Amino acid sequence: MPSSLLVTSLVNTIQIGSLYALMALGLTLTFSVIKLPNFAHAEYVTAGAYAALIISLAGVLNPLIIIAVAFLVGALTAVVSHLIVFKPLERQNVSLYTLILASFAVGLIIRYILFTIADYFNIFDLRIAIPLQILFRTGSLILTNLFAWVAPTSIVLVILLTLLINRTALGREMRALANNTILARVIGIPVERVKNYTWLLVGGMAGVAGALWGLQSAVSPLMGWAAIISVFAAAILGGLSSFPGTILGAYVVAFSENTIMLFLNFSYGVDLAYKPAIPFIIIIAVLLIRPQGLTQLLKRAGELGR
Amino acid sequence: MPLLQLFNLRKDFGGLRAVDDVSLEVATGAIVGLIGPNGSGKSTLLNLIAGSAERTAGRIIFDGDEISGLSADQVFQRGIARGYQDPSLYLKMTTLDNALLPVKSQRGEHPWYAPWRRFWQKQEAENARAAAGVLEQVQLLGHYDSLASDLSGGQMKLLEMGRSLMGSPKLLLLDEPTAGVAPNLAYEIFEEISRLRQQHGITFLIVEHRLEILFDFVDSVYVMHLGNLLAHGSADDIASNETVREVYFGD
Amino acid sequence: MINIDLGATAISVLTLFGIYALMSISLNLEYGVAGVPNFGQALFVSIGAYVAGVTYTRLLPLLAGMESVHPCGPTMGQALQLRSEIMATQPVAGFINLALTLVIAAILSGAVGFAVSYVTLRLKEEWFLALVLLVGGETVRIVVRGADDLICSHNGISSVAQPFYFLDDVQMSSILFMLLALALALIAYLYSQRLTHSPYGRMLKGLRENEEVTRGLGKGISLARAQIMLIGSAIAAIGGVLFALNTGFVNTNDYVVTLTLDVWVMVVLGGIGNNRGALLGAALIAIMDRVTQVAAIALNMSGSPIEFNYVRFIAFGIILLLMLRYRPAGLLPESRLTTIAHETAKRLTPGKTI
Repeated sequence: MPSSLLVTSLVNTIQIGSLYALMALGLTLTFSVIKLPNFAHAEYVTAGAYAALIISLAGVLNPLIIIAVAFLVGALTAVVSHLIVFKPLERQNVSLYTLILASFAVGLIIRYILFTIADYFNIFDLRIAIPLQILFRTGSLILTNLFAWVAPTSIVLVILLTLLINRTALGREMRALANNTILARVIGIPVERVKNYTWLLVGGMAGVAGALWGLQSAVSPLMGWAAIISVFAAAILGGLSSFPGTILGAYVVAFSENTIMLFLNFSYGVDLAYKPAIPFIIIIAVLLIRPQGLTQLLKRAGELGR
Repeated sequence: MPLLQLFNLRKDFGGLRAVDDVSLEVATGAIVGLIGPNGSGKSTLLNLIAGSAERTAGRIIFDGDEISGLSADQVFQRGIARGYQDPSLYLKMTTLDNALLPVKSQRGEHPWYAPWRRFWQKQEAENARAAAGVLEQVQLLGHYDSLASDLSGGQMKLLEMGRSLMGSPKLLLLDEPTAGVAPNLAYEIFEEISRLRQQHGITFLIVEHRLEILFDFVDSVYVMHLGNLLAHGSADDIASNETVREVYFGD
Repeated sequence: MINIDLGATAISVLTLFGIYALMSISLNLEYGVAGVPNFGQALFVSIGAYVAGVTYTRLLPLLAGMESVHPCGPTMGQALQLRSEIMATQPVAGFINLALTLVIAAILSGAVGFAVSYVTLRLKEEWFLALVLLVGGETVRIVVRGADDLICSHNGISSVAQPFYFLDDVQMSSILFMLLALALALIAYLYSQRLTHSPYGRMLKGLRENEEVTRGLGKGISLARAQIMLIGSAIAAIGGVLFALNTGFVNTNDYVVTLTLDVWVMVVLGGIGNNRGALLGAALIAIMDRVTQVAAIALNMSGSPIEFNYVRFIAFGIILLLMLRYRPAGLLPESRLTTIAHETAKRLTPGKTI
């Protein structure tokens, strides 16, 4: 495989891996604290992306404002879905499958609302058009200011979230909830409030991931759903409980999808159309062979609990 | 020869030793109590015997055969049934169906035969007669068509016991059969246990916290503490045993 | 305005009902009765469709005594013409091909269902099975779409004619196909009804209610679960064959997660654990599908900017949520088990107290 392609694929790995990490951490957090494998998570990403796209089309081109709006819209979507759907269902003590099914339904509703909006304004497959500047160029590799936004913003947010979980009072309460909901309630942790904040954070991060995603490639109503299995693969590599494991998992998935896939294509002629099968293979392999994910390898550092 | 023998049975959960080299015997036809403070390993011990938890070490001999390592369904087939501390009835099924489910080797349980009634209808009717007998014994025949969720707490306990009987067990493991039941009904449940022993020769190993009732019915009592067997003896011996009083009642 | 041909509408809705009923009966057996969360219904349906895609291009010409033409690539048009011609002129070959397709699809899908459920027994958490099935369905779809030869990757196979295509009377031909779909659905319904109201059904419901207790009562539940997955998957694949024949296409794009969700909506709407409920759910969704189709066309023609096909999915999502929240048992709640045991017990009960 030509080295220029290798470098490009590695750049993609970093960029996409960082976005996956941002999304997968939210999934891990929801699963640990809320105890829900939330399939609607994908749509918080898409909602954020569309919010970002719409305000950029309206003339707002400052990336920071775009990201902030995406955060707010993602967070709003998540909190509303919690308050209207998940919270009342949890109160009814429904089975986990009912909650999973509800998360599918929530995702479906948001996705097709976005479809309707996109159709109405005819905004399919557009990129969030902040002005491009070339920062660095060597051979075929071109790094633009997009790269400077996408990966670093994701990484900074991942670090901030990790700090929040490990160093703040809210983070401590979340970890307590992740460990044992009943016990957390008994020792006086305001469970409902912590859950609300969790949804807010999770949705906001997903929204930002959507905006960043929309900076580097086209925004479409299916973009979140198309990524959700990769994101699940990353979270499952992290055992659905560990932050470092999830982050590592995100880069492993991105590396497999980009670099390894390209390598297979060059060396063995594997069709690039099979790329979406990679996260599926990872999920099935991990669940069957190593359901605890990569957590043990990381010596349980930063474990959320469970 | 005892019906059930445990040799150095051990169970570790991670670093915690829940059951620590326990050896005990239950004689055929006996009612044996198993007591101890919360977290002393009683329920874990029942789980190990019933095959619903995997032992770390040790052997379980039942009716002359080694059953260590068998799965829960295989253990049941050998003749050990168990009751649960929390109500474990199938709430969306009728009393009768609850009783019929555990019957062994039902032909209609095989999916290839199930759609063709003539293969299993006769057997089902026979099983229903047996179930009606058991339900009558636990005074629930009149409720055969009620959903289990409509029964009272005491009736649920009785149905659970009746259901265990439908697998024609030799040994019944009960985990706090009177938990959450009014005192007079609790006494009735133990009278029922005693009757079952007499009529069907069933052996009982019972975890129970209501010692005042338990002690009226048992042949012998084992006391567990922190995963170890602390004492063994008749109800009177145990009641007057200083060490037991210390760990149990804290005086 | 658009003209609605009531006769044709009724035929198409009833045909769709028959096909949906096969899918919902299958999921109801798996999830409603046995509690196995099959979020991969699209996988098993798609197996039926893919098998049809293969048999109608490879097996059919052989049965008609002709040389088969490679269905994809440069000979695509020629192959299409060949199978249309055979279906139009050789009904016997068509029927034999359909029968074999149904059998192969059922066996293949059943085997996959059986195997998946056995493999996933090792999973740490119950819901992983749901994830594996969902993910498995998508994986198979991607692999089939990626394969150039099987069903011509993203082109799919078109002109997969239904078996009565040879009739000159188009309406009669679609009526007969409708009857075929309804007959298969009826058989599936009667079969699952008998399966549910038997000691096997009792054991499955026990497994659904409390796995640990059922194991403790001597039931080898892993086998029971694998068996119901085998049966359910086979029924779903039969639905998949008919689905492909009904649309005339085999295309991987039809077998995505939204199809799985459609089937879930049918079961949740009709009544979880109730075979009649599964039929009711299938009927309601078939009608709603048709209504949204008509509404979409009508809206489009009236120049409305709203795309009604999107509204369909939003409506389905809302229905699902409303049902889960306010009527979790469905429109027709689960009926009690009835076997001869209840009559026997009734006779033995002196002066029934209830």
